[in-house]
Parts: sequence; structure tokens; C-alpha cells
Amino acid sequence: MSLRSRLFSRRDPYARDGAEELFLAAMRETLEKNAAGSDKYAEILRREGFSPEMLKTEGDLAKIPPIPTLYFKRNRLFCVPERKLIVRAASSGTSGNASEVGFDLSSLLIGFGALRRFFRFHRVTSIIPTNDIVLGYEPAKHNRAGAVKTAYLTTKFAPALRREYALKDNGAGYDINIDGIRKALLGYAKSPFPVRFVGFPSYMFFLLKTLEKEGISLALPARSAVLLGGGWKEFSGESVDRAEMLELIEARLGIKKERCFEFFSAVEHPLAYLKCACGHFHIPAYSRVIIRDTETLEPLPEGEAGLLNFITPLVSSMPLCSVITDDIAIFGTAPCPCGNPAPYFDLLARSGVSGIKTCAAEAGERLVDR
Amino acid sequence: MNLVNGKILNDNEAHDALERLGELVLEARFSAPPSAETVIAACEKLGAMGAEFIPLLVKGGLSRERAEAEIELARSMLSREKLEARLKLELGALEAEFTPIDSPVPVRHSLAPLGTLLHIAAGNAEGLPAFSVIEGLLTGNVNILKPPSNDGGLSAILLSRLVSVEPSLKNRIFVFDIPSSDTAKMRKLAAVSDAVVVWGGDEAVRGARLLASPDTAIIEWGHKLSFCYASGEVSEAELLGVCRNICETEQLYCSSCQGIFLDTEDEAELFAFAERFADILERAAADATSAYGKRVRAQKTLEMRTLELEGSEKGMRIIKRKGCAVIAENKTALEPSLMFRTPWVRPLPRNRILKTLIPYKSRLQTASLICPQRDSEALSELLIRSGVVRLCAAERMSEAYCGVPHDGCMPLSRYVRIVSGELS
Repeated sequence: MSLRSRLFSRRDPYARDGAEELFLAAMRETLEKNAAGSDKYAEILRREGFSPEMLKTEGDLAKIPPIPTLYFKRNRLFCVPERKLIVRAASSGTSGNASEVGFDLSSLLIGFGALRRFFRFHRVTSIIPTNDIVLGYEPAKHNRAGAVKTAYLTTKFAPALRREYALKDNGAGYDINIDGIRKALLGYAKSPFPVRFVGFPSYMFFLLKTLEKEGISLALPARSAVLLGGGWKEFSGESVDRAEMLELIEARLGIKKERCFEFFSAVEHPLAYLKCACGHFHIPAYSRVIIRDTETLEPLPEGEAGLLNFITPLVSSMPLCSVITDDIAIFGTAPCPCGNPAPYFDLLARSGVSGIKTCAAEAGERLVDR
Repeated sequence: MNLVNGKILNDNEAHDALERLGELVLEARFSAPPSAETVIAACEKLGAMGAEFIPLLVKGGLSRERAEAEIELARSMLSREKLEARLKLELGALEAEFTPIDSPVPVRHSLAPLGTLLHIAAGNAEGLPAFSVIEGLLTGNVNILKPPSNDGGLSAILLSRLVSVEPSLKNRIFVFDIPSSDTAKMRKLAAVSDAVVVWGGDEAVRGARLLASPDTAIIEWGHKLSFCYASGEVSEAELLGVCRNICETEQLYCSSCQGIFLDTEDEAELFAFAERFADILERAAADATSAYGKRVRAQKTLEMRTLELEGSEKGMRIIKRKGCAVIAENKTALEPSLMFRTPWVRPLPRNRILKTLIPYKSRLQTASLICPQRDSEALSELLIRSGVVRLCAAERMSEAYCGVPHDGCMPLSRYVRIVSGELS
């Protein structure tokens, strides 16, 4: 069993005792694989004066050259021959560029196993079959967005009886399927099986507002759940308050806030983080978070806001060991009232230049749009 | 938000008005156009009301300081003094009475409006869509405005206030807030117009060209690029001027300096120059607070880090400094920077100026030339022959004076016809 497999197969995803050494060893293992599989990555490490054996303590993790997700949007960098990539996914990229990532079999199996244990730990998985509403895109050949795959996979954590999509494939693109969702929902409400909502928060909010407008209130079966993730994009002009959303969910669907789960994940960092009752994303033992200065990228002390840098040895097929996302976050270790002893991060904002106006020729196209 | 006959209309009402647009425009053109004096007086009154629009701009996302500065700028652009000066400078020389050298019949050249203008406005500056309409009014035209999608109703509100201070303008201003993707409606607007005035990038210009049939003129105010050209000894004060323009405009305007072309073929000289420039830029950036916060800086940091990772393959050097960065690259091409205080430095030996810049045809706007006195004339000449339309000191690149040509022409002159009549 590889060190990586051992790290990711521990039953309690958050327990760190005894996992520190293992984490560092697994990091060295994956970094070595990444470098051996890609001359380009080996060159990056060499140029920045880093080699895997330099990882001796947790403090050394910051020395791994961090790669922004933007890099993967512009460059393809695989560490295994492309035929070994079992799954390819693209980041949803609100507009413009999308990262293309690829996972080999070992990364996929380990990641999927860890995800299953993570969901089981949080009692999200169920052996009772469910009726699903997917608040996102229906899987289709013409769309490789990772969010589709995530939502589709998530619905598999309980056997699905039926499944309806907010955005239905019409062969070439997508149609908004509010009528279909409404109809499915009214049908599901009469069934004894729990209902699960999976997908983007903004679509959930839109659905709740539609139900409210039409005066529809449902009492969905016990163990029904709402699983949200993927960021508050697209409707970002309409700022959605989390507390208001949870109230609406209870009022319109009869689902209590304990059954509402908000996840964070990224195509370039395919692990799940769950927002606790106190609003924190606790960090499992198989990943680390470094917050970096928005100017210098130097690591910042606890409590200071900066760019979110994830460290994990999960992926052997791409150099995703140290990835900086577009998110601005803070890191905390203070005991959390929710009882989870693991350190956590809080998301504050996304970096970016949305709404900026320019009249310099061809310049608009170069703004990285959010 | 739509405006027809001085009234704000909802989309259904506007739809009905659009169906009758041909008649409405004809009706307006039956009456004599308002005199320039009438329009100027109305503009002055509108300018005086400036303060009441500040909350609107703030609601649209501007900081209070920015909103106040924009209103102050608008007031000055709408002042009687400036509008009168512009009419004189831009149109005065076009009117004439004379006896041609090859004909005994004396003639008069007088100005008449083009007729009806469709303004397809861009969203890169608040109030600009309404200002484009005002230029159309000053020249006696009937004006149809398609505001940008992010306009938030500002143009219709400004123009309805203009009508309220000068009711005789009401049938000469239409605002139809329709998406540019609605080509059927856009074509209706273009069909009743003599010219389409389009502001914006390539996509907008291409859209307008597709929209207008061959009998409809197209007046394009497209996006442009500006830069600095440096040769020989460059003083710190001159570089500071470049840095000031970069920091003040955040490199967002047509006239903003995107980078410096250096008259050299030596890579070492290029990189050394870039280091020196970065030191000065860092100081200038520290002195000029940015209106854009941490989110934009974070994004720039990620872009610089990404370039750094990619850079070694491209012979590029990223000189990251606090609040800014200089990207030195051994590449002879004109491109926009990544903006927000991230200028490029590239080599452009003088014997390659024409060859390099001519492909940018109508894209070139302002150049600031830094060079020894003895080279000034020759280099200016080369830049002008390449297509540059304005030469000035770097710190003034984005400052407009009253009567400045817009991208190589006098804007008002494009909205009129010169009519020749015989004097008997």
C-alpha cells in the first residue's frame, strides 16, 4: 500500500494524531512521482530550488512551489501518459478559461474512497434510496465541466430512484427546467423516500424564491437533505444571505438546517470540505492550508486574510500538490464550538476584477473574468 | 430603462414605440432642429444639477470620491465655455462663403445634421452614452441611444432630466434599452438611422457593421492602444511621468500607457532598463492610492506568479514589486498590458518601428516619446507614419484638452454634412 493510500484511508478524516509524519512522507512520495513523470514540473522545482527530500517538517510545506489554478487554465501539465487519464474534467469557469485536469486510476480510487468516508463521517450518505434534484447541468457529451461530474457523483452517495436536472441537456446546450423541477418536486413530496438537492447554491436560491412566489410549502420526508457546493457564482449580483437561505429551505421544503450541507471543492483540488455549524471549513488530516500574502505570496500568520493555498498528496497524474486558488480566506486553529478539533479556513471573497471597464484595445479579453 | 418623447417607458410600452419609430423620427425631423444655443443652455442647466446624480453613480458601484470627480468632469465638459469652444474649433472651419477659382458662381458651405444617429454606447465610462447623444444634439441630429447593458438606467435618467429642463428636445432623444443580442430590434433601430455611432471593442464594431445596411454610415469609436517610446538616455523625471499615467489610469483607458518600447536590440540593456523602471514605478505606486482593492491585487499576483512559472520558456522576466510589476520581454509586438500597474518593457529598434506598428492600423492612439532632442523629429515622424494620432508628454497622455481630436478626427464634424448652396 502506498503512503498516499494509507493517509487517505483513515476512518476519521480529521484525526491528525500519528498522521503528521505520514502526511509529509506521502507528500514526498507524490512530489517525486510528479517530478519523475513530467520534465516540465521537474524543471519548475529545480528552478525554484526545491526538492522533495527538503520536506522535513510541516513548516517546509510552504517551500513547495505553489501553482495558481490560472496556470492550469493556460497550460496542460500531466505527469502520466494521457492514455492513463481515466477521468478528465474542466473547471466550470464562470466565463472564459477553464482548467483541464486529468486523474489516473490510483488518484481516482483513493480520492473517491476518501470522499465516501468523508460523507459517511458526516452522515451525508444514506442506504435509503432517494429522489434527487440536481441544481446544475445534466451530464452531456458536449460539456466537460467538473461541476457536472461532482453533482452527478454526489447523487451516487445514496441510490437514486429518480433524478431531475435544473439545466436539461437539449443536445447542443441547456434549457432551464424550472417547470420540470417543480413537477418532479411535487411528485417526490408524495413519495415516502427522502429527497436530496445537489448543486449550486445560486440555483437552490432561485428555486426557493420560485416556490415562495408561488406559495408552495412542502413537508419533505425525514432524512431529506440539501447538498450545496460550487460557489455563489453567476447570480453573484444578487447577494444571498446564508441564514436567509436556510430559513427558506425550512419554510419551503421542511428540511432542517442540520440536514443542509455546504461543501467547498475545486477541480484543481478535488477534495471536499464541509462548512460546519459555525461557518468554518475544517481541514481533514490529508490536506493542509496555507494563507499567502496577496502581494508577495509569503505565508501569513493565522487570522490574516490572503490567498488560499491547498497542499495535498492526492493526485499523482498532475502536479496538484500545492495549488493556489482564486479565493481569499483566513486560517484558524481556535477551538470551534461545533466540536471539530481540526483547524479550519473561512472563505472571504474571490480575487478578481469583475465589473471593471476598459477601453484599451483587446484588453477586455485579457481580464481574467470572474 | 427606455425614454421616448421625454417619458420613461417600460419594456412593453417601448416595444410599441419601437414599432412606430419610423413615424416618430419623421415627425421629429419635420420641425427645425433646436439651435446649438438651446442645447448649450440645456446642458449648462443639466451640469448644474450634477450633485443630484451622485447617489445614482454610487448605487452603480462607484466610490463617493470617484462619483464626485466624474460629476465634476461632466460639469466641465457640459459648460457653455467648452461647448462653444468645441463648436468653433471642430465645425467653424467647415463653413465658408467664397467664389470658386474655377467657377463664377459664388457658393456657401453650410452645415446640416446627418439626420438620425443611432448611438450604440459602451459601458467603459459612466455618462459617456448620454454625452454621445448630447454631441448628436449639438449638431442638430435626432438621436437614438442603445445604452450598454451595465448602464443601470443612468442614461435614460440623465437624458430625461435634460428634456425636463429643455422640453423642445423631447422628440429628438430616444433611449431603447434592448440587449444587443436582439438583432431584430437592433436592425429596426439601424433602419431608421442615417448613421450608426458605435463605441466599444472589436465585438461591438463588428456587430454594428453587420447591423447597418450599405446605405447607413458607420462612425466607429473603437478601442485603442497607447504606449511610450524611449531612446537614449532617459531621465528619472521622464520615467516618473510614465509611472504617474500608469498608476492614475490603472492602464484601463485607450490613452493609458500600456508599456515602454525601448530603442535597443540588446536584451541585457532591456532587462536593466526594466529593473530601473520597476524601482520608479514602485515609488509612484506607493504615492498613488489605487481605487481597486485587495481582490484586484490578488488577481494580479496570481497572474504574475503564473507568468513566472511559464516565463522561462518565453524569455520573459517578471519584476514584481509592491503594488505593481514590470514584465520585460524580448518580444517586438504591441499588446495591451495586464493592466492595474503591470506595464511591459519590450525592444523596438527604430528601424523596425514602421514594420512593427503598421499592422495595428486603426488601433494606435497616443504615444509619449522620450528621446534626445536631436532624434525627436525623426522619431515623431516615424510614429506618426505608423498611425499614432497623438504625441505628448507621458504624464498628459490621458488628459484631454478642449478641442482635442478624438482618435484622429473632430467628433462633431462626423455628425454633420457640408451642404453646398449657390449664392445669387
